[in-house]
Amino acid sequence: MQQREEKQLESSLESIIQRVNDLKASLASMIFKIENEYESLNWPKFLDNYALISGQLISLSKVLSHEKCTNLRNLTVLPLMLSPERDEQLIQMTEGRITTFSHDLVPDYLRTKLEPLAEKKMLQLEHKAQGLQYDNAQKQIAAYQKVVTHVWDIVSKAREEWEVEASSRGNTQQNSSVADTHLLVAAVGMGKGLKMGPNPNGQPNSTSGGMMVAPGRPGGPPGQGPIPPSSQAMSMSKAPSAIKTNIKSAAQMHPYNR
Amino acid sequence: MAALGTAIDSLTAAMKCNIIPNQEYLLQGSVLDQYVEVLLHRLRGLCDNVDSGPETFNDHELCYSLRANNVNTPMALPLRVRRALDVSDAPFQLRYVGQQELGDKNRPTVVRSCIDMACSSTIIEFLSELGCRLDFEYIARGYMFRKGRMKVTVSKIFKMNGIANKPGEGVEAISQSYLVELSVQAPSGQDAIAEDMRVFAEQLRPLVQLEKIDYKRLGNMM
Amino acid sequence: MGVTILTQFPVENKTGPQIIELLSKRISALGAVPQGQFLVDCETYSSVPALGHQRTVHVLHNSEQPATVFALLETGTKTIPLATDGLFDLLMMKMSSFYQSKKQTKAESKGPRFEIGDFCVKLGSVTVSSNFKGVLVEVEYKPCVVPAMCWDLIMEFMQGFLGSLGPTTPPSFLQNRMQDIYSPIDTIQQYLEHFTLFRKSPGPALIMRPQ
Repeated sequence: MQQREEKQLESSLESIIQRVNDLKASLASMIFKIENEYESLNWPKFLDNYALISGQLISLSKVLSHEKCTNLRNLTVLPLMLSPERDEQLIQMTEGRITTFSHDLVPDYLRTKLEPLAEKKMLQLEHKAQGLQYDNAQKQIAAYQKVVTHVWDIVSKAREEWEVEASSRGNTQQNSSVADTHLLVAAVGMGKGLKMGPNPNGQPNSTSGGMMVAPGRPGGPPGQGPIPPSSQAMSMSKAPSAIKTNIKSAAQMHPYNR
Repeated sequence: MAALGTAIDSLTAAMKCNIIPNQEYLLQGSVLDQYVEVLLHRLRGLCDNVDSGPETFNDHELCYSLRANNVNTPMALPLRVRRALDVSDAPFQLRYVGQQELGDKNRPTVVRSCIDMACSSTIIEFLSELGCRLDFEYIARGYMFRKGRMKVTVSKIFKMNGIANKPGEGVEAISQSYLVELSVQAPSGQDAIAEDMRVFAEQLRPLVQLEKIDYKRLGNMM
Repeated sequence: MGVTILTQFPVENKTGPQIIELLSKRISALGAVPQGQFLVDCETYSSVPALGHQRTVHVLHNSEQPATVFALLETGTKTIPLATDGLFDLLMMKMSSFYQSKKQTKAESKGPRFEIGDFCVKLGSVTVSSNFKGVLVEVEYKPCVVPAMCWDLIMEFMQGFLGSLGPTTPPSFLQNRMQDIYSPIDTIQQYLEHFTLFRKSPGPALIMRPQ
């Protein structure tokens, strides 16, 4: 059991260290840029770097809040031995930042509370808040709330506009019609609606009996020209679905079905 | 100098080497009139002829079939003639298009056999005297794009009106959409190109849904 | 591409190679330079009875226009010429259930090709389904495209190496087209005229000038 916990701790520490190192590298490169390339550095580039760093911070905090990650708060770091001597190994590990593991430095570095200065300031603020009158506090809260609601309104309005735009873009999926595709393909491929039978009286051909024009379709075939028996296949492909048996036999004779 | 081989010999040799582009890989779709500009804009960005812009065409297509009156074995050979109405000295195009194969679901495009030939303007009289019957005709006007070996056409299909009409006069659009076709002609067996076409078609979504369209089913549906 | 005149050279009792050699010598003596070989062939297809009245399609190739296939459709009342490309042969195969080739009639004319100044001369020995039938002499005058304007010149040139056996009247096919612009399919029509005659003749043709 303990072994498993240890392993878990090890792996989570490893991933934390990796992310911290990433963060450190990006910070270093950004500092380098600001110091050395300030002449050519433009705003978008700077924002790119900033976005990278904030992304890394987010991923670091995700790792820290992950349930598999051991809660570091529950662990204690116990300095066993302090020494005023120079520690070469420590220098190497900290890239030359800390030279000794001594009494005056350790409390600062292993500190888990806020910095003394910040702590003092927090205390002052808390004190002030306690001393505040109820009415005054309410007023300030109301003013603050007003500002927040205002910003909230602006944001939600913008969001609404976005969504309308996005959904209208979604609607443009209707920029083609399946019925039109089929109409066009059937016309170009099989002459559906394009055949102009040399029909002198313009009346439906009596020999083809059940011929109908699909209702509501523009440019439907006006009629049927005289056709030799073997070419019934072509004309049958236009038959309405009412005469299914004919369609089946005709489909087999269809020139495209050979 | 070596003795000349006959033309048939070289054709047979070409057939053996499988270098004759006798297969057409095809995807079809359509786009509503009001969005055609958006599609053209996108195609301009995606296709090769960026600088010159799309090529426009205004073609008259005549669809014939050669039929024999055998009662027992009806046979028909479909033949198509396409001629440019806007370029008077362009050769006519004669085209045989065979039966289309849809294949299984994994095959991204329709495949059909085809033979394309350039020919002189006498082809129309030639075909009618050969025994071919004009089944139907139409006018196709639109734009042509190229992307490598792929060809994209965006065309408006017009029905010819009147009896002895001159092509280009008294025509009537048959729908409120443009027909969009993506095709490649290649020797048989080059199925890899079909995959390229699928990827390209994907880039045009959702503006146009380029799909394998089954003529048989269309014949029954409509 | 200029105007081409095709004429048959009588075989009498010589063999094909002998005549070709004789004419080659004569034309070389005039200063002509050999420029390879040439070949014109013709395959004929007839419509099947199911297609209605009999029609004939002649498919010809000329090595001078290697990317072109010529087709001539004879309906009985008229002949429709068609120039198309190499895949037309493939289409004829697709049409085999409508138009069937008469295997016994495959005709071709092949032999040496010469150039001399503005003229191109071709000496073809003609076979119909591999049987020797005769000799065809083709002369092309390249700078001109209207037959009427160069017929006299070509006739004189041909008489220069064919002697009295050279043509004295334009080929029948060209007679009412003398003022038209000449094109390669006109050469093909002349070949077809001769091939048709050769097919009808029993052996190596005797003197049988088309008209």
